[in-house]
Amino acid sequence: MHKIFALLIVAFFSISSTAYANVDLSGKTITWVVPFKEGGGTSRFARFIQPFLSKYLPGNPDIQIMHIPGGGAIKGSNYFQKNAKPDGTYLFGCSTSVIVNVATGNPLVEYNLSEYRPVLLLPQNTHWFTRTDLADGPHDLSKLKERDLVLYALKTPASADLFHIWVFDKLGIKGAKPIPGLSSSGGYQAFLRGEIHISSHGAANYKKKVKPEIEKGKVVDLMTLGIIGADGSVSRNPLAPDAPTFPEMYEKVNGEKLSGDDLEAFYSIGAAWSQASKSMLLPEGTPDEIVEAFRDAAKKMVDDPEFKEKATKALGPFPLIIGEEAGEIVKKAAVFSDNTKDQLNAALKKNRFTFRVQ
Amino acid sequence: MEQFFSSLLQLFEITHLAFLFGGTLLGLVVGILPGMGGTSGLALVLPFVFTLEPSYALAMMIGVLAPTTTSDTFPAVLMGIPGTSGSQATVMDGFPLSKKGMAARALSAAFSSSLLGGVFGAIILSVSIYYAIPIIMTFGFGEQFLLVVLALLMVGALTGDNFVKGITACCLGLIIGSIGTAPITGDLRYTFGTLYLLEGVPLVIVGLGLFAIPEIVGLLDGRGAIAKSLKNEKGWLIGIRDVFRHWFLVLRCSTLGCLVGALPGLGGTVVDWIAYSHLKQTVKDGSQLGNGDIRGVIAPEAANNAKEGGALIPTLLFGIPGSGNKVLLLGGFVLIGIEPGLDMVTTNLDLTYLMIWSLALANILGAGLCIAFASQISRVTLVPYYILAPVMICLIFFATFNVNRDWFDFIGLLTFGLIGITFKNFGWSRPALLIGFFLSTKVELLSYQTYAVYGLSFISRPVSIVLIILCLATIFLLLRQKFDVGYDSSVVKNKVQQICFVLFLSCLPITMIWSIAHLDYRANLYPTSLSVIAGILLTFILLIKVIDLRQVKALDNVMVRFARTHIFEHGNGFNNQLYYYASLLGYLGMNFIFGFPIASVIFINLFILFHDRKSFKVSAIITAVMILIFWFLSSLLTLQFPIGAIGLMIDMPWWLGGELTQ
Repeated sequence: MHKIFALLIVAFFSISSTAYANVDLSGKTITWVVPFKEGGGTSRFARFIQPFLSKYLPGNPDIQIMHIPGGGAIKGSNYFQKNAKPDGTYLFGCSTSVIVNVATGNPLVEYNLSEYRPVLLLPQNTHWFTRTDLADGPHDLSKLKERDLVLYALKTPASADLFHIWVFDKLGIKGAKPIPGLSSSGGYQAFLRGEIHISSHGAANYKKKVKPEIEKGKVVDLMTLGIIGADGSVSRNPLAPDAPTFPEMYEKVNGEKLSGDDLEAFYSIGAAWSQASKSMLLPEGTPDEIVEAFRDAAKKMVDDPEFKEKATKALGPFPLIIGEEAGEIVKKAAVFSDNTKDQLNAALKKNRFTFRVQ
Repeated sequence: MEQFFSSLLQLFEITHLAFLFGGTLLGLVVGILPGMGGTSGLALVLPFVFTLEPSYALAMMIGVLAPTTTSDTFPAVLMGIPGTSGSQATVMDGFPLSKKGMAARALSAAFSSSLLGGVFGAIILSVSIYYAIPIIMTFGFGEQFLLVVLALLMVGALTGDNFVKGITACCLGLIIGSIGTAPITGDLRYTFGTLYLLEGVPLVIVGLGLFAIPEIVGLLDGRGAIAKSLKNEKGWLIGIRDVFRHWFLVLRCSTLGCLVGALPGLGGTVVDWIAYSHLKQTVKDGSQLGNGDIRGVIAPEAANNAKEGGALIPTLLFGIPGSGNKVLLLGGFVLIGIEPGLDMVTTNLDLTYLMIWSLALANILGAGLCIAFASQISRVTLVPYYILAPVMICLIFFATFNVNRDWFDFIGLLTFGLIGITFKNFGWSRPALLIGFFLSTKVELLSYQTYAVYGLSFISRPVSIVLIILCLATIFLLLRQKFDVGYDSSVVKNKVQQICFVLFLSCLPITMIWSIAHLDYRANLYPTSLSVIAGILLTFILLIKVIDLRQVKALDNVMVRFARTHIFEHGNGFNNQLYYYASLLGYLGMNFIFGFPIASVIFINLFILFHDRKSFKVSAIITAVMILIFWFLSSLLTLQFPIGAIGLMIDMPWWLGGELTQ
């Protein structure tokens, strides 16, 4: 009787895990390449995931994080492309700027990101807001649209901040003028001093720094980028449930739904900027069974009570994206269509930038 | 208020204390080594702090910074050599006291006044944090731009002996800082198509090259200075009593130190002299000053520790460094993800208070250790140069490689090392170059941002006017004090060499203009105009040098005489130091071939045995300890050693210099 029972258990487990039954990483060391400096967002993301992933991968391998900063994240990414073996012992920590390097056609890029096999994505979301005296109540663009000069912060046109230019262009804010070289936190300070007119922040800083100012009545919400679902629907950001998403704002301003080329561009930008803000990928050509083993470990990790407890604080409020849909998102983010490139370049040209998406 | 005390509790956690204590010990050691100061010390720890929690890293960095101006008194008093630039004035009376057999009294007076000054600085800092928000809110782009420019002017004018050379060094620093991706357009400037220079030259490399290498090479060259031992020296209590008798002087000089420290850019280099001249002007009977007056020790030491608190004000609030070591502290902030500015007094207030407490505690710890273990610590000054130097060099190489894990970093290190040696010998200001380098991006961006928001109207804003007047007045007053009547250029032997160096320096602006001429005007306007300014300044220096060389009598007026002060520097050790510098090249070559661990073993042994054949036991022990430390550090932090050619050809374990992974 016992034997039959035991056999049944074995059978059950072998069925439930056929896809990666022969994946065993015990005794191995996984190298997780992070193309940034220690202490940055991607490094913190990797460090947070590292112990949980090790716990749930078959064989509990050691995971060591290898930082290779430099060259605008290109150096470490190229290193990964050249050195990573597709046997589950190499992982890549990716972020929006790594994707933007590919999407904008940086000639120094040698990594083939769109063929990588994503395990999980960590989304992020952008909030835009303005000073109370520059809007008729929350979510109003009409006053800003009348101004001759609407200044906003822009790190460099070769970074993800490039998308701000496109967003303000599509919303018809004619006076919009980027001030280069301002990080989002430096930009926010200048915004509070009254030197620039629109500012933006990611979810964590929005909650910590912007919400108090909104409650004081000094700042009003404009909109959020919106959370893009697997089916392409865009829902509101739970942190600012009253604020319209970009597609809603687009419709309000232009009188027609976001569609066609503009919608396509929005999906690409949203994928790069929001959905794949941070991600963990396996190298090109990794066999399906290994990819499945990692995705399975990631799914188990998300259900871990300790992970649940700490994740919101460490990673932000948005749930991880795990599985096949992650692959689609990374492809969309890394390969911009010609239409999207033209749109971005037109916006760049309007703002007299020499940088072009290639 | 609540955070003020909660951060105190946080500091007294055992791990925090351990990091603070470790940092303090390191700070004490680098302070004692002549010439090495907080800048070199921080540059050494910076490549490793990223693995720490931000609060631990802060405790450690402050720990390194705070006590250097305390322990630098050892060489100042015992050897007559300032340990850091902040204790130059201490030598004036400290060394005579030591020659009179009162070294213990001088040291204990110096440590006690350092302690009081340091704590006073921390108190002033915490009070000013309280008023910081309105200050930050009134400093828009325009005011920040002026603050930065005036910081540069001050550093340039005051850190060198010749102010034209100082300003030129600043300007060259700004040009070097503009290498890399242009912040406004994203164009690549002066990168020659390499990935390495895409983000500019790494700060730690510049810091280590400019400060650590010249001092080590100088240490090797100046082998004559061996200190006396402090055994059985009495008078410790007299020194402490002296300080309490002159409490008002301590208070005055601490206030002065804080104020001067808070002026951006002025920082550490002149504060001791300002305190000393204040003493001279206010003292009733000054006949003993310069011959061993204890007040001449108390005044500069109180001031140079108090300035740390003051110098943190512009550093934390605006990200504008007060001195060379604050540049590296800011670099550390970036590594652990802290951005100076409003956040430091709002969301990150707990970290700010943690720094203030660390500063106070590190000062107390540093002074306490110095007094308690004075005779033991003073023996560090007895360690022969040929043992100290190879150890320091290996540490520097190890730290360098961990900046980017890139061989190019060594080339950068040795290039800036050579520049540092030349700068030091020929009387060019290294702090000016470093601060210019660090602030370059800020200057470019702020000028663009100011223009976009205000046009030219920013100059007429009230704070701007106050800033301009305040700083110009300070520069004027201090420059008058700096004019050195006793300067005599006729003793300088290598004038032609020094003229050639100016020609060499002018290559940078010329090639910069040439290499970026094809870029968009927003990418090349800033480096080009800087290069033109640097070119004019260099031509002027060249002209003055030639006037001096040829003794042109016709051009002898006040302006020329002023510009001629220290236009040439003695630079006697230059050729010798180049010779020692060459051994660094040899070490680098060995690294290329054998990889880091084997090369270090060979280098340390060769170096020590070359100078003293009998000390093979010493060299073996030192090598073993060093290698153990490196193994410990790299397995703890999963660091890769530089792999040499042999390591690439045959499979070696990582601890011998093979590849770390797999």
